Amino acid sequence: MDPEMDSQLKIGFIGAGNMAFGIAKGILSGNVLPVNVKVSAPSSRNLGRFQELGIAVTHSNIEVVCGSDVVFVAVKPHLVPLVLNEISLHVTDRHIIVSVAAGVTLATLEELLPENSVAIRLMPNLPCLVQEGALLFARGSHAKQEDGALLRSLLHRCGLVEEGPEAWIDIHTGLSGSGVAFVYLFAEALAEGAVKMGMPSALAHSIASQTVLGAGKLLRESGKHPAQLRSEVCTPGGTTIYGLHTLEQGGLRAATMSAVESATERARELGRKSAAGSRK
Amino acid sequence: MSVGFIGAGQLAHALVKGFTAAGVIATQRITASSPDSELPTVSGLRKMGVNLTTSNKEVVNKSDVLFLAVKPHIIPFVLDEIGPDIEDRHLIVSCAAGVTISSIEKKLLQYRDAPKVMRCMTNTPVVVREGATVYATGTHAELEDSKLLEQLMSSVGFCTEVEEDLIDAVTGLSGSGPAYAFTALDALADGGVKMGLPRRLAVRLGAQALLGAAKMLLDSEQHPGQLKDNVCSPGGATIHALHVMESGGFRSLLINAVEASCIRTRELQYLADQERISPAAIKKTTLDKVLQQPGVTVSGVANGSGRSGLSLFNNHGSNIKKKKN
Repeated sequence: MDPEMDSQLKIGFIGAGNMAFGIAKGILSGNVLPVNVKVSAPSSRNLGRFQELGIAVTHSNIEVVCGSDVVFVAVKPHLVPLVLNEISLHVTDRHIIVSVAAGVTLATLEELLPENSVAIRLMPNLPCLVQEGALLFARGSHAKQEDGALLRSLLHRCGLVEEGPEAWIDIHTGLSGSGVAFVYLFAEALAEGAVKMGMPSALAHSIASQTVLGAGKLLRESGKHPAQLRSEVCTPGGTTIYGLHTLEQGGLRAATMSAVESATERARELGRKSAAGSRK
Repeated sequence: MSVGFIGAGQLAHALVKGFTAAGVIATQRITASSPDSELPTVSGLRKMGVNLTTSNKEVVNKSDVLFLAVKPHIIPFVLDEIGPDIEDRHLIVSCAAGVTISSIEKKLLQYRDAPKVMRCMTNTPVVVREGATVYATGTHAELEDSKLLEQLMSSVGFCTEVEEDLIDAVTGLSGSGPAYAFTALDALADGGVKMGLPRRLAVRLGAQALLGAAKMLLDSEQHPGQLKDNVCSPGGATIHALHVMESGGFRSLLINAVEASCIRTRELQYLADQERISPAAIKKTTLDKVLQQPGVTVSGVANGSGRSGLSLFNNHGSNIKKKKN
């Protein structure tokens, strides 16, 4: 992506929550200038941290749309129809509207926006806040490859950015959106195991989080299959294989697969509900 | 080179079948002994052209490499019987689960200064030349002896040397392994039949699937986890099935099985070392037949620690000197 073009690009955020903030941070560590970014929110509560980054703030959604090329709609799902109705008249076919609202389908978005609007649905996850997000986007009917490429280049510092068909977004929600919480659960349990064995809690938690981080980093950087890495840690008759056996006996794999399944199913269900709701 | 088998049961039969198919040795150079000439494996061996006898001593005299292919609790009787007939040329290879090299050497040292002993753990697929064999070398076995055994066992499958303390784990994994596979195959066939396949076809396909998968893994540098992934298309049939398997604790079951077999092997070895197996534990017919052999005696009743029952690794002392004369 042309860095010069990036620096001319105007980015807007409707909604000033965690997702918007994480994405904004990522965008700014690229070539976009803070002066070209604007964010709107009904109250000033969340706007402070944006201002600290040099980003302009407003209470007017319309102002954000009119002043931007790419608009991130980062409000709670039930507010999306409201917001889109409000801004619709000001959306032109040069805008790229990126929705990060869970469960709001491209069909719904395109219905609420003017015909031929370029809409992209994006599912980020919480670690965007520390620029280690996993983001999956799906292009709407009028979003071209170049629009996807532009979004990708804007977001690449937020973490891992991938494109896929809309059907994968619910799976991504289950895997990586909710998946973050699954990892927190696991980290907590690791720490508790250590506490049970006699380690002070604060130290156990600190080590548990570093273990998760380190393992994740090694997994990503080695390019090896996790099964391969697991085998490499297991010395014959050693501590790790004993621990792993206990995990297998506890059915951790099946439970994890089922967890992703449940979260995905729920995402699909919510998607159906919100689509039904917005047709009223 | 001649090969002898003390014991003409499943293991001897499987090994002979494998060796002859591999062409490493002619059947005329193989001798096997068994007290029971009615065993199906005995007739099987006879049909292959193996020399059969009821005399263990005859096997010893006619062999260079001597496989001890009897049940573990029979080993001490056999060693007592053949001890005096062992010569320098003999390489004794014990295939008995849980019987240590040191226990065999201890017995034979009563008769010979430097008995050449090796211990191997193999498995039944040697019969189709796809065995999995490990061996450990005894105190007096030379490099050539290792090479010889490895050559023989490599002709019927995979063979490698290990430290003796790993043999129990090998027993749990590849010794018992074929039984795990047969169980799995039976169940897979059931699954096929349930879903409408004729039994014979189901068995054939199941076996081929496992055979093929094993071959792929052996030929590949990849981790089995990666190979598994390669079969699972997103949202497809296989990943659904795998989830069912995981939910059933498939992996931990297999880990448990290997562990159980290994632990039991150690238990049996421990029991043997304790020298405390009652005559009732030894299959009556076998014991009778063994005891009918000339020169075999049951050692007296109590030994030093006051234990009664048959003593397996007892020093017969003066009894033996008398027999030799």
